[in-house]
Amino acid sequence: MRDIGFVESFSKHRLGMIGLTGIVIIVALGVFGPMVVAYPVGYNEAMPLAAPAREHWLGTDGLGLNLIDEIIWGARTSLFISLTAVAVATCIGVPLGLVSGYFRGRIGGLIDSVIEIAMTIPTLPLMILISAISGPSVGTVAVVIGVFSWPTLARIVRNSTLKLASLPYIEAAIVLGIPRRTIMFKHILLNAVGPALVDLTIIMATAVLTEAGLSYLGLGDPNAWSWGSILQNAFRAGHQFHAWWLIVFPSLAIMFFVVSFNLLGLGINETLNPKRD
Amino acid sequence: MFRYIGLRIVKGGLTFLAAVTVTFLIVRLMPGDPTTAFLSDSMTAQDVQALSAALGLDKSLPEQYALFLRNLVHFELGQSFFLKQAVSAIIAPRLAWTLLLIGTSLFITLLIGIPLGVYTARHKGKWIDQIVSTMIVLGISIFIPLLAFVFVYVFSLELGLTPVGGAFTPDVEDSERIGDVVRHMLLPTATLVVVNLAQIVLYTRNSMLDVLKEDYIRTARAKGVNDRSVTWGHALRNAMIPTVTVTGLMLGRMVAGAVLTETVFSWPGVGSMIYEAVQKQDFPLLQGAFIVLAFSVILMTLVTDLVVAWLDPRIKLDAGIIR
Repeated sequence: MRDIGFVESFSKHRLGMIGLTGIVIIVALGVFGPMVVAYPVGYNEAMPLAAPAREHWLGTDGLGLNLIDEIIWGARTSLFISLTAVAVATCIGVPLGLVSGYFRGRIGGLIDSVIEIAMTIPTLPLMILISAISGPSVGTVAVVIGVFSWPTLARIVRNSTLKLASLPYIEAAIVLGIPRRTIMFKHILLNAVGPALVDLTIIMATAVLTEAGLSYLGLGDPNAWSWGSILQNAFRAGHQFHAWWLIVFPSLAIMFFVVSFNLLGLGINETLNPKRD
Repeated sequence: MFRYIGLRIVKGGLTFLAAVTVTFLIVRLMPGDPTTAFLSDSMTAQDVQALSAALGLDKSLPEQYALFLRNLVHFELGQSFFLKQAVSAIIAPRLAWTLLLIGTSLFITLLIGIPLGVYTARHKGKWIDQIVSTMIVLGISIFIPLLAFVFVYVFSLELGLTPVGGAFTPDVEDSERIGDVVRHMLLPTATLVVVNLAQIVLYTRNSMLDVLKEDYIRTARAKGVNDRSVTWGHALRNAMIPTVTVTGLMLGRMVAGAVLTETVFSWPGVGSMIYEAVQKQDFPLLQGAFIVLAFSVILMTLVTDLVVAWLDPRIKLDAGIIR
C-alpha cells in the first residue's frame, strides 16, 4: 500500500475542504476587499435603513452606510484579531506545554497546575473587566483574547510531548548525545504540530466569537468596523425588528468565519487520526 | 479518598486566590492612575477620601493586597458607582437567578446529551458519524445573541408562545408564580442547552466507544448479560468519567454563554448586570461580578471532581494519580 501524504489525504476530506474554501474567501475579502471598498464613514441622509437592493446589496444601516462595506472591513478586523490571538496564545502555550511535558517532575507538575488553574477561571467576565478598564480598542481585545486562549493549547502540546518523549526514537536521540534543546524543538515539537494545529483553528474561531460577544456587550472599538459592533449598533438603536438585514448578515458573517475554521480543524484532526476500525 | 478531596479543595482555594490576585493586579497595574478605575466624577471630595482609605490607596502594594483579601473574606466587594449600594448586596439576588438558569440548563443538557451520546455510540456508522460531526461543529460555532434573537423572534413575537424577556411577571398570583418563571425560563434555557449539547454528546460517545471495546465488556457479554444491561450498567459508568470531567471544564464557557444569553433575554442575573455595568462603566460592579462568578465556577468544578472520584473507584484507593 502506498503511503499517501497529508495534503493528498486532506484533500479527500469533504468537510475539511469546505472549511478551507470558506477561509480562502474570508482572507480574500479581508485582505483585498478594503483595497476596493472605501472605509464606511460619515452619514448618508439619502437612504438610512434601506433594504437590500441592487445599489446596496446588503442594505444600509441607520447612518445610511452600505452594510456590505462594513462587513468587508469587518472581515479584516476579524482576521487581525484572530491571528493576533493565535500568535499570543502560541507564544505562551507552546513553550509552557513543551517544557511541562518534557521535564516531568516538579517543573512539569507546577506548570500543569498553572494550566489547570487557568482553565478553571471563567474568562469572559475577566476579559470584560479588562476591556472596560483599558478602554475599547481592537488591539487590546486581540491581545486579551490571546492571553486567555493559551491553556488548552498548552495542555494539548503537553500531552503530545508526554507521549512522544517516551518513544524509543527520543531515547535513541538522548543516547546519541543530541542536545536537549534540539530534541525538544526538532524531534518533539515538529511531531506535536498536528494536534496543536487543530487547536489553533479552534482558537481562531473562538477569538472571533469572543470579539463579537464583547462588541455585542458594548466593548467594541468605535473606530473599527467589526461584525460584532455592527450588531451592537443595530441593537442599541432598536433596529433589530424592522431592519432584519442588520442582524442577519453580520451574524451570518460571524458564523461563516467560525464554521469555516472549525471545519478546517475537523478536517485536519480526522486526517491526522483516521478512524480506527 | 479524603486525601483526594483535600487536594481538590486546596487546588480550588489556590485557583480562587489566583483569580482574585489577577483582578487585584489588573485594576492596580493598568496604565494610568490605579485610582481612576474606582473613582468616578460624580463623587464628592469626601467620598473620594473615604474610598481611598477603604481601598488603602495611600499604602504600599503588598499592604493594599492584604487589605483587599481581608475585605474579600468579609464579602466586602466595594460600592457600586451608580447604584450607590454595596456590590455584594446588588449581586447576591442576581446570582440566584444566574445559578438557576445555569443549573437548569446543565441538568437538561446532561439529561439529553448522555443518552444521545450512548445511542450514537451504539449505532455508529458512516451515516451517524457524519451527522454527529456536523452537529458538533455547528454547536461550537453558534453565536449566542443570534440564536437567542431567532428564538425570541420566532417563539415570542411570531407565535406568541413565550415572554420576550425577564424572569417573571411582577403582579402574578402566588399560585401561578412557578409556572410563570418556568415560561420565562424556556427560551434562555433552550439557548444554553443548544450551545452546550454537542460537547456532551461528543465526549459521551467517544468514551463509550472506547469502553465498549474493553475486555470486561466482552466478559460480561460472554456471561450472557443482556445488551441493555451491558450498555447502561457496565459501560456507561466508566464512560461517564470523561463526560463529567468535560462538564467541569465547560462551566467557564457556560458562564460566558449565560452573560450573553441573559443580556438578550433581560434575565435578571449577574450576566445582564454585567451588561448594564459595562454601559455605565461601573468597575467595582464588574470586578465583583467576576469574583463571584469565578467562585461559583470553582465550587461547581469541585463538585464535578467529587463526582469523578465517586465514579472512578481507583481514586478512592490512591489519591491524585488519576489524569
